[in-house]
Amino acid sequence: MWEHIEQALQDSMGRVTTKIATLLPGILAFILALLIFLILAWLFSVLVRALLKAVKFDERLGSGANTLTEWSPASTPTSLATRIVFWGFVAIGVLVGVSAFEAASAEPAVSAYMFTYLPHIVGAALLFFVGNILARFLSRSVLITAVNLNLHYARLLATGAKWLVLILTTAMALDHLSIGGQIVDLAFGILFGGIVLALALAVGLGSRDLVSRSLEREASRPMETQQEERLHHF
Amino acid sequence: MARIELPEETRKRVEAIGTTEFVLGIAGPVHPQDLRAKAIEWISSLATTPLKTVIVYMGVDERAQTRPPAGVIEFVPYPPSQGDPSTGPWMEIANAQRSALALASLLQAKVCAVVHSDLAALLDPASRFLVAPVFDGKFDLVSPIYPESKYEGLINKGLLAPLSRALFGRRVRFPLPFDFCASARLLPKLVDPNPPRSQPGAQLLWPSNIVAMEGGQIGQAHIRASHTTQSDGLELSAVLGQLVGSLFQEIEACAAQWQRVRGSQPAEIFGAPPPEGETTETPADVKPLDTHPLFDSFLLGSRNLEEVWRLVLPPVSLFELKRLTRLTPEQFRMPDELWARIVYDFALAYRLRRIGRTHLLGALTPLYLGWVASYAQDVGSTSAAEADQRLDRLARIFESNKPYFLSRWRWPDRTN
Repeated sequence: MWEHIEQALQDSMGRVTTKIATLLPGILAFILALLIFLILAWLFSVLVRALLKAVKFDERLGSGANTLTEWSPASTPTSLATRIVFWGFVAIGVLVGVSAFEAASAEPAVSAYMFTYLPHIVGAALLFFVGNILARFLSRSVLITAVNLNLHYARLLATGAKWLVLILTTAMALDHLSIGGQIVDLAFGILFGGIVLALALAVGLGSRDLVSRSLEREASRPMETQQEERLHHF
Repeated sequence: MARIELPEETRKRVEAIGTTEFVLGIAGPVHPQDLRAKAIEWISSLATTPLKTVIVYMGVDERAQTRPPAGVIEFVPYPPSQGDPSTGPWMEIANAQRSALALASLLQAKVCAVVHSDLAALLDPASRFLVAPVFDGKFDLVSPIYPESKYEGLINKGLLAPLSRALFGRRVRFPLPFDFCASARLLPKLVDPNPPRSQPGAQLLWPSNIVAMEGGQIGQAHIRASHTTQSDGLELSAVLGQLVGSLFQEIEACAAQWQRVRGSQPAEIFGAPPPEGETTETPADVKPLDTHPLFDSFLLGSRNLEEVWRLVLPPVSLFELKRLTRLTPEQFRMPDELWARIVYDFALAYRLRRIGRTHLLGALTPLYLGWVASYAQDVGSTSAAEADQRLDRLARIFESNKPYFLSRWRWPDRTN
């Protein structure tokens, strides 16, 4: 009996080794392709940086640069362009690596599936990344503007804006990955509709107080106006 | 030289005129007949012998373009700037001032006076003090001192003037003037400052700061003109962002130069301040101001913007601000030293782009209102002269804290 077990174990070990040996050229091809593209990415990013610095790209971009740096404050337009070039090459490297893996391996189905799904993953990651930046930017903009308008519910507004964008982005990313199917659409619709309905009810029910408070403020405005007129900031 | 674009007709007109002794530049649109009526009389009051003068103004005058140069006083219109109107009135005025200075530079004027388009300066006899010291050749720039009550021009009083004085080393009361006079030596520098600004068209003009960095002589003159800027519909945070943002840009551009400046030099003052009865101070200004709304804005900011302030301010300043929120409005005083360091930290964060610049300048507004509340409590029952002394103390504190800014500028991560 032990001989049978030993034989079966040896057979399965042999199959694993054969499998690894079959996959090894594909993995090596993938790593090699990725390495080559990493070197190319580094080379091209250095070239692009030197070129953009030579043509004074940041200065020439003028007011456009201001808009760009508002969204990504720590980066100059040159460094952003350099990073885009670098990561573009890395992404191409991954795609070429996957196709090299497919060519070298005896399991074309896996790589074919990966190859078709990879753009979805990249797209979803990009969506989520952009959505995150947008949510953070909008939340901060709403918070600062609301504070400067003396709105006491500034934080609530900012948090609401942030989560609306995040929920919308997550639903879009999941949809892009084909995860959850219609459940995500339905859940998002219910959640979004629920938020809007809740806001509408809150505004509708709370507006009585709001209107009365506004009227009270209007009644006491002459005093405040006198106060304001005495202060001149500019 | 100048990067100001001038139309072909204007250039031809300038070439036909050749050179001139004096240029009067009007920084904004003006009616030519109104200008003619006020400017000719003002110019004739400047010197006993007629000055060869060119008046440059914003507008289009076909007759002025085609008429051959003949008289002692010539009129040259320049076109309105193509700037973005959403940038606000200050930017439009700065662009117009640059156009006037560029034309003066082309005309090789010995002296150039730039005045606001409401022409209020031309109606004031004391405005000759703006021009006379430059004609004498002793000064490169004369900046105005406008009559203001203690509650007027607070952005300038609390931030622009003390920060400019501390960094650029000249005690100029209005570093962002509507009217000023410059010498021929400094004209090209004002049009095309060195080091070059990255966005020349989108920046305000800070004549005294530029002249200070060029080592020029600066004087000041009391004039009795007060100007109103079309600021309807403009939020305080937007205006603060525009004015302070522009000064922060200037600081970033001239970093190599202002780091070498130590202390400050007084700028000689010409003319006499208006007598007590003639100031814009009303009896209401003498009464203390209710600072509760300002204090509330500061409190609201400190409750909600701490996460933004944490990216900009060091822990010591945050702790101090936290302590201030526990005071009652009557007890509330923001120490000048804390305010000076806050301004310096915001200038540094502006340079380092720790957060978006619009956000950064927006987050400064509640802190500024906190300082205004504190200042209003201090000067509530004092005279205008005592309020001036209070502002001088603030400026000296900005100066004494300059080493802090220098150290943070050079080693930004050391404190945080």
